Amino acid sequence: MSLFSRRSLPFLALAAVAFTAPAAAQTATATLSGNLGGLAKLSLSSTTLSFPDSNPDTVPQIPAAGGAIVITAKARATAGATVTLTVLATDDLRSGLDTIPITALTWTASGAGFVNGTMSRQVPQVVGTWAGSGVQTGTQMFRFQNSWAYATGTYSVSLVYTLVAP
Amino acid sequence: MRTRLLERALMLAVGLAWFSAPAAAQPGLRLDISITPATITFPLSDPDTVPIISATPIQVTYRVRQNNGPWTLTVLASGDLIAGASTVDISNVTWVATPAPPFQNGVLSKTVAQRLASGTDNINPARQGQVTFRLANSWTYTAGLYTQTIVFTLTAP
Repeated sequence: MSLFSRRSLPFLALAAVAFTAPAAAQTATATLSGNLGGLAKLSLSSTTLSFPDSNPDTVPQIPAAGGAIVITAKARATAGATVTLTVLATDDLRSGLDTIPITALTWTASGAGFVNGTMSRQVPQVVGTWAGSGVQTGTQMFRFQNSWAYATGTYSVSLVYTLVAP
Repeated sequence: MRTRLLERALMLAVGLAWFSAPAAAQPGLRLDISITPATITFPLSDPDTVPIISATPIQVTYRVRQNNGPWTLTVLASGDLIAGASTVDISNVTWVATPAPPFQNGVLSKTVAQRLASGTDNINPARQGQVTFRLANSWTYTAGLYTQTIVFTLTAP
């Protein structure tokens, strides 16, 4: 007769469980807390735009010298929030007392979430929108509407970009 | 019938003997551990300039008395970092610990207790180690105040 019959197995299992249990253990608890608050960071490859003098007949739309501006928009937003990048001109294009409506400045965009638009000095214009946190990269190619009607001069204006990560 | 009863009695006796064996080997084993501070905070930081966020170091005080074998200190997270419905995988939290040995660096897990320190015999009087937890920073995290509990366990098997 075998010493360990099939009926003995539950006792053997119990003994094995008891044998492998820790003899002693002490615990201490700590809490991890991470403030991953909202952040927004915007960078432009260039902070100046210039449009060379051109013949309105041959160059009715003057592209910006230096090509497109590369935009990098980094945002950490709350759950379900939409991150928005806008641009607003501080004024019309101005040269002394002469002005050119800022709407003469338009852009075409590339990159996920980036959109084409026309500059405004009254209402911020959307450059791009994205769902949630992340790093977005795109380009903005500006063009200036040329015209024989403009008074000669060197015109300038400031553009303000705003990235919002709610 | 008598044979079966004898057989069960014998097995029960063996089981009880095994069950009581560890206690008999270390009859007065005493373990102590404390963590200071008990809250580990990662401050808000720009992922570009601070890709790894270090928390203020914590102090682990431990004591092992009347021990005749190895001891192990482990740490286990109760889950991922949580802020409402948003989560950050707990494996983004690592630690750097000193002195080494007995302490060692590691990565937090929510499923398997990770060894923080180990040694043999007694530690008496109490000794201290310093652990700095670090969070991999990222722009992709959803904004929020994340928390999670971690459990330190000192055992002498």
